[in-house]
Amino acid sequence: MLPDHNLIPHLIHQCTLIEINKVAENWYRLKLQAPAAAAYAEPGQFVHLRAGSASDPLLRRPFSIHNADSRANEIWLLIRVAGKVTSALAGLSPGGIINILGPLGTGFPVPDDEGSALLVAGGIGLAPLYFLTLRRQAAALPTELLLGGLTGNALPDDSFFFRDGVHPLIATNDGSRGYRGTAADLLEMRLQSGIRPTRIFACGPVSMLARVVELGRNCGLPVYVSLESFLACAVGACLGCAFPFKTDDHIEYRRVCRDGPVFSGEEACFELV
Amino acid sequence: MNLFDASLTVNLAGISLANPLIAASGCYGYGFDYRRWIDPGDWGAIVVKGTTLRPRTGNPPPRLVETPSGMLNAIGLQNPGIDFFLKSIRPQLPELQCPVLVNIAGETLEEYRQLAAILNSVTEVSGIEVNISCPNVKRGGVSFGGDPALVEELIGLVREVYRLPLIVKLSPDAGNIVSVAEAAWRAGADALSLINTIKGMVIDVQKRRPVLGNITGGLSGPAIRPVAVRAVWEVSAAVSIPVIGMGGIMQADDALEFILAGACAVAIGTANFINPAVAREISQGLRQYLCDHGFSHYRELIGAARP
Repeated sequence: MLPDHNLIPHLIHQCTLIEINKVAENWYRLKLQAPAAAAYAEPGQFVHLRAGSASDPLLRRPFSIHNADSRANEIWLLIRVAGKVTSALAGLSPGGIINILGPLGTGFPVPDDEGSALLVAGGIGLAPLYFLTLRRQAAALPTELLLGGLTGNALPDDSFFFRDGVHPLIATNDGSRGYRGTAADLLEMRLQSGIRPTRIFACGPVSMLARVVELGRNCGLPVYVSLESFLACAVGACLGCAFPFKTDDHIEYRRVCRDGPVFSGEEACFELV
Repeated sequence: MNLFDASLTVNLAGISLANPLIAASGCYGYGFDYRRWIDPGDWGAIVVKGTTLRPRTGNPPPRLVETPSGMLNAIGLQNPGIDFFLKSIRPQLPELQCPVLVNIAGETLEEYRQLAAILNSVTEVSGIEVNISCPNVKRGGVSFGGDPALVEELIGLVREVYRLPLIVKLSPDAGNIVSVAEAAWRAGADALSLINTIKGMVIDVQKRRPVLGNITGGLSGPAIRPVAVRAVWEVSAAVSIPVIGMGGIMQADDALEFILAGACAVAIGTANFINPAVAREISQGLRQYLCDHGFSHYRELIGAARP
């Protein structure tokens, strides 16, 4: 069980950026000094982040926690530059200040899960699944990470993974690194070879998630997906991040920020977003 | 003068508030989601999410998009309905330790009347805010709020069945917000809330489609503040009931603009998303302002910008 949201005794953190590295084309890894967040973060949770104090961009932006080290008081973020906020983050230097709320949200079921797992990451969907991989490996739980990207240099190189003892199976759309195909193709290949994990965890584009859920369903395997949505409050109050789920033949909206971002994929209505 | 001699207490249409800061409806759920960041007493009052007679699913996503110094939302009054509120939310309300008001929305005049009649006997609720200004629903909402004669009829019906403080929330999209305000006042409203969001839209030029699932949404945040201050200035001069000002308040100076324009209290919505401790910081800022300028009570500032 994750701790009750309301019992975690922390507020708003002014964090110092300790280290920032470019790890792939447009990808950066940020290490933040954030003791409370590092102590409580669970894989699949996120921080709601603000850099600067201007009214444009106005709202915070959510980023999955990429790793948390409670001894070093650090959390890591893995970002892909896509807009104003990520560009500003990529331009920060060590010593820069970032304001975060968090950790927030309901993450992956870990480490209670004692079974084996296949983790399916599409592109920057790697961010939360990497944290899950490290936690599962630390608990000696059988874990296999499948990672898809557009091309070889759109993904971090091997040293990024190997120094943490992570050995992902990689596919690229153009075949320039690993298998030719997508992360979902890798999953299909592993399932076809007879692998039957206890659970599948996935994070990536909606089209990929829909296919992963279908592949899992065909093998009778539960799939947990980490969803993305534009967030305003990030604490469950504003209902702006709602994602459609099907229950008893009607549509129900659940909050990505609070009920998720990790959900059982079975009822998610990917076709409606 | 000591910082804590500066008084922020206010009697708003019969409700005693510890300070003039109110959590705006729709931005604060039922008040419980922010308890990690806010202490009881940081808010003068909390207005809970717009509540309807039956549960509402809400609008399809995307429901949010950021705009320059603001945001559009089109939630569509997603809420579990008044029965759920009475059964599951009502018993918890005393934990909030401040007055709680319920924002009510109906699709017909009769639905508003029924909601008001139900809440009239709910002792945990200090008053209602009648929402005639939501831009994101097909029936009710702002479609009622633009017609002074209809507003007078609606508020008259609600007034007949509701004895506690009755607040009416007005839309800046009403053709003439002063006429609508006067109509609500004539019909027996105890106070007015203004402004609700301004209807707007954003188009995704890559997809060549509107961004929001609902196509249009309500604009909030600092972008609308000058429109809101102007509305408070005009309405507070025209009516003799208290005005609650809102629209893009991010810090104490913003709240002061509304108070100086004539607002007796202010509501804060979007700013909570950026700074969950904003109420505490604005309270401290107001006290500091009173102290620095030699005022003992913020009441002395209400409408003080008027020559």
